[in-house]
Amino acid sequence: MKKAILLSLLLPALLVTACVSKEKKDNTISISGAFAIYPMVVKWAEEYQKLHPEVRFNISGGGAGKGLADALAGVVDLGMFSREITPVELEQGTWYVGLVIDAVVPDINIDNPYVDIIKQRGLTRDEFRAIYIDGTITNWGQLLGVENGEPIALYTRSDACGAAETWAKYLGGKQEDLLGIGIFGDPGLAETTAKDQLGFGFNNTIYVYDINTGGKRPGLEVVPIDINENGQIDPEEDFYGSFESVLDAIASGVYPSPPSRELYLVAKGKPQKKVVIDFLKWALTEGQQYVPETGFVPITQNAIDNYLKKLEE
Amino acid sequence: MHLRRRLVDRITGSWMVLSLITILLLPIIIGAGLYYKSIPILEEHSLWQLITSSEWSPHKGNFGFWPYISSTLYVTLIAFVLSAPFCLFAAIHLTEYASKRFVRIIHPVIDILAGLPSVIYGVWGILVIVPFISKHLGPLFGEKTTGYSILSGGIVLGIMCIPYMLNMLIEFFRTVPKGTREASLSLGATYWESIKHVVIRHSRPGIVSAFGLSFAKAIGETIAVMMVVGNRILVTANPFDAGYPLPALIANNYGEMLSIPMYDAALMFAALLLLVIILVINLGFRYLIHKTQKL
Repeated sequence: MKKAILLSLLLPALLVTACVSKEKKDNTISISGAFAIYPMVVKWAEEYQKLHPEVRFNISGGGAGKGLADALAGVVDLGMFSREITPVELEQGTWYVGLVIDAVVPDINIDNPYVDIIKQRGLTRDEFRAIYIDGTITNWGQLLGVENGEPIALYTRSDACGAAETWAKYLGGKQEDLLGIGIFGDPGLAETTAKDQLGFGFNNTIYVYDINTGGKRPGLEVVPIDINENGQIDPEEDFYGSFESVLDAIASGVYPSPPSRELYLVAKGKPQKKVVIDFLKWALTEGQQYVPETGFVPITQNAIDNYLKKLEE
Repeated sequence: MHLRRRLVDRITGSWMVLSLITILLLPIIIGAGLYYKSIPILEEHSLWQLITSSEWSPHKGNFGFWPYISSTLYVTLIAFVLSAPFCLFAAIHLTEYASKRFVRIIHPVIDILAGLPSVIYGVWGILVIVPFISKHLGPLFGEKTTGYSILSGGIVLGIMCIPYMLNMLIEFFRTVPKGTREASLSLGATYWESIKHVVIRHSRPGIVSAFGLSFAKAIGETIAVMMVVGNRILVTANPFDAGYPLPALIANNYGEMLSIPMYDAALMFAALLLLVIILVINLGFRYLIHKTQKL
């Protein structure tokens, strides 16, 4: 008899604790992948946690490739993704929502001996291609028509990533076609270019510019793209001075796409966890107010409506 | 009661055997899994072509592993050449010459070196080794290099091997009986002569196996080497050029496995290659140990 009473007392307690622990587990959102959208997701996570303190976030980088592979393997709830999703990947059951836009920009060291010439004339798409894919230009002198030029220290990303894939797409190739020393990670590539006087690399805008100051990160200078290919950087092509003006150029489409592109969060099929769906909805609505201050370009209202519809389905 | 004891004895005994068998089977299971996963690529390309071709463009269906294999071996060779002599002499000093107090101080240092995560060695390599090679060592040999090179990979890897190699060597030298050393000294040999002819000779199989195990371990090291080696698909004899070892290939491209046909099979084949290389090296050193033991 005593046992029965004890049991009837304990059982509800046991059930309650079981529920609580289950609830706790369902309140975590784990995310991994592209460095491009990483700062945005971290910012959203911070703001979202202020509103919903019970939600836990688990965010790690690793590149777009890792994000997608992790999401499809079910290791994380959402993968951060920063390039176009291929048909093969859609066939595998990749589900996605676009959230913000950013761009890949080519960069060099600020102490590059030819920095003034480069800023004045810019480089055309064909010149970028000759450096990065064809390998026909390997020397700054050869590129700029200067005697006794120094060799270009060309860098690319080693890990499977959206920045390299998008940059390669702009030049008409794939990541595997890009020449140069492979450096792991977006921050690594920015760091290397900022340290090597003859370095030449590319980065997501958020890693070239400092969101707090609006200026370029120490040691980095952007290579302007000569969009109309007239051999000089015209006033309308010269928008690299501050982070804000670059973002404007991306938003208005003056900066070509690619290398500008939409950034996604992906999953294997539509996420089932309510907390994940709620977070995505919030990011697409209220969360959009944090987009400019974090250094990204908002997607169009039309696109937002479409993605929200996708979440409601 | 008697029966129960026998039964318990049986069961505990068979558990141990079962655990042992599981451990022994592990390499075979891993190898079989990798082989199974890499069947698609082996069906489409011949093994010889995969190993010897240098053409790597997965989007076009070209998978040539030679640049990766040669980089792997080159980096490991440099690491070995740089670390083996240092470890040997340091181990001799620590076991034969150094005071007990010094040894007590040095042991934790070695353990700390062994315990450092490899990513720390990688960062240190980028901050110290890479600039050193690009600014000082490269120009000394008339090479224009960014510093991200096979040599950097080899140096970082060599340093990572040291604690393992050193610890093993010290253990082996300690097992040399005091009596043999004293006998040699009493015959009038100098201290160095006894070390050379008695201590080293006695522990020769140990030295070989210490080198072999460190060598095999070094080949698989991924993160630290990946961070400094440059990750360029290149077959080269120049240590100032960049390379692309097999482990880095797997780690870097794991993410693209899903979107490119055959890529997963290719990466699994890369893993299988690595396993086979390590196996062959291990067997080679086993044979060497066997030979030296007979001497």
